[in-house]
Amino acid sequence: MMTALSRTAGARGPVAALRDNRAAWAFGVLIVTWIAAIAFAKGFDSVSSVRYLTQTAAFLGIVAVGQTLVIMMSGIDLSVSGVVALSAVVCAQVAAGSGGPAGVAVALVASLLVGLANAAGVTWLRVPPMVMTLATGTIVAGALLVYTNGSPKSAKVPMLASLANDRVAGVPLAFVLWLGITAVAAWLLHASRAGRWVFALGNGERASRASGVPLARTAFIAYGACALLAGVSGLVLLGFTSTSSLTMGNPYQLLSIASVVLGGTSILGGRGHVLGTVAGALLLTLLTALLAAWNVSEGVRQIVLGLLIIALLLAYARERRS
Amino acid sequence: MPDRLTAALRGNLDMAGLGALLVVLLAVYSHYDSQVFTPASITILSAQFLPLILAAMGQSTVMLAGGIDLSLGAVLSLAMAVFAVRAEDGVLVAAGLALAAAAATGAANGVLVAYAGLPPIIVTLAASFLWGGVTLVVLPQPGGSVPSGLVKAYNNGWNGLALPFVAIALVLLLWKLVRTTRFGLSLYAVGGNEHGAYASGIGTRKVKISAYALAGVFIGLAGIGLAIQTGSGDATIGTPYTLNSIAASVLAGVSFFGGVGQMRATVLAALLIGLLTNLLLFTGLSPFYQLIMQGAVLIVAIAVKTLATRERTQ
Repeated sequence: MMTALSRTAGARGPVAALRDNRAAWAFGVLIVTWIAAIAFAKGFDSVSSVRYLTQTAAFLGIVAVGQTLVIMMSGIDLSVSGVVALSAVVCAQVAAGSGGPAGVAVALVASLLVGLANAAGVTWLRVPPMVMTLATGTIVAGALLVYTNGSPKSAKVPMLASLANDRVAGVPLAFVLWLGITAVAAWLLHASRAGRWVFALGNGERASRASGVPLARTAFIAYGACALLAGVSGLVLLGFTSTSSLTMGNPYQLLSIASVVLGGTSILGGRGHVLGTVAGALLLTLLTALLAAWNVSEGVRQIVLGLLIIALLLAYARERRS
Repeated sequence: MPDRLTAALRGNLDMAGLGALLVVLLAVYSHYDSQVFTPASITILSAQFLPLILAAMGQSTVMLAGGIDLSLGAVLSLAMAVFAVRAEDGVLVAAGLALAAAAATGAANGVLVAYAGLPPIIVTLAASFLWGGVTLVVLPQPGGSVPSGLVKAYNNGWNGLALPFVAIALVLLLWKLVRTTRFGLSLYAVGGNEHGAYASGIGTRKVKISAYALAGVFIGLAGIGLAIQTGSGDATIGTPYTLNSIAASVLAGVSFFGGVGQMRATVLAALLIGLLTNLLLFTGLSPFYQLIMQGAVLIVAIAVKTLATRERTQ
């Protein structure tokens, strides 16, 4: 404790500054991993592989940007897995009857509603974020079972298919969308007034409430945006696969949180940068692709990915003991 | 004397409230199932509820120490898979292996929480991935088998004795013993005020690791119970237990911030959730509604709890 104090209190050279900038660390780890992948596995050095990685990382990355907003205010959203599935399933179902645009609109509204419910529970009912979002995620999963009677539909929505698969000047459109969303989130989080509230709440709820930070409004913005982005990701996924399933969101629960934390944001909130989350999502997608290239069984893949995530967390995402 | 009575009541507010709820629920239940109070029915119900009760006890143990276990469902599946795969070669050895595996995963979670400076949510969430993978390696497809004599004795009673009931009584007794040890006291102390506990000479890290390991034992027993109840193993069946164990603990009055709560209340609360789930089936609604109810129960329980305690402290 004392050493940590004196280290931050003492003179900070450029080396120390770099050591403390965990978002930069995330990009460093990403680059090293990428080089290792090119050196030790086949097929990671081609343009098409970079395209495919950035395209598939976008699905996770968009969810993770929303997760960043919530975690930064010292919340957490465990309902994103449910919302990703909700958005895709609802869109497929509605699009089959009333056309693509209606499906997209209904899906986004439904996603946003879950986020607003999360915020309402956290601020008005004072339910801890982890429990509130775990509960809404479960309710959404149950509601989807009831809604689809256990068998969700497939749907080809041309608009979503091109959003997921087309390219602009060789760059996947999904990646462009992800970067655009990240840019907006970066402005919201690091330049706007709401962003200052988010950081303030992440650094101490009681003090920031006392100094006039509107908890409710900030929570509605953060949880609403998070759920909306999970919904967007579900739509892009629907465009990518043309099918929806009740479990398609499941991987995103852990991986979105891992992206945020590996990107250098403190899980306790108040510290970090949304750009780090981009590196985190790319890193996790790269690791998943590497494991797929080795052709190991599903169980072993989960074990290795779980161990890697824990190891990376230990390496540079630890919280200083206070 | 009346003073002492009200004091006792206030001290056991959770128990009294849960008891009242249970009576109401049982009254409604007997309306749908008039056989509910017969020994046969009680045996079957206790067999059905045992896994959730034990899982909730595990979750409560971790929560009392100020943590949370999101890997509970994965560890439960792991214990179930290990037991189901090895049960044909000898039930006791299989149970020992399953318990050892569950306790080891718990201890690993505890070490990461205690030494690595990572918050319990993120550790146990990542661990759920890891232990889920291990379970898939142990049992890639649902399968394995438990000797049918044991399954029958467990579900239908053995010489008129409801084995699950005995198991729950034994585990509660075990908890009562643990409570009186130095470790049991430290558990509450660490959960209530970690810095204070550390300052008064308690090895907070050791206590946390032991708490997660002990929770692992409870969760392992839950997994074994589930394997005996269903007669086989399934790598994915444990998932709902994570949420339900948290719901039961919260309903029982175990604080999220650690240090407050009673294990017998947890047992009652788990029983309540089990009965409620069954009641839902009686209403003829699709079982798909179960998930919705579980989530709703959790939110309502916590909201009522928080609003009530806030009033009391103000």
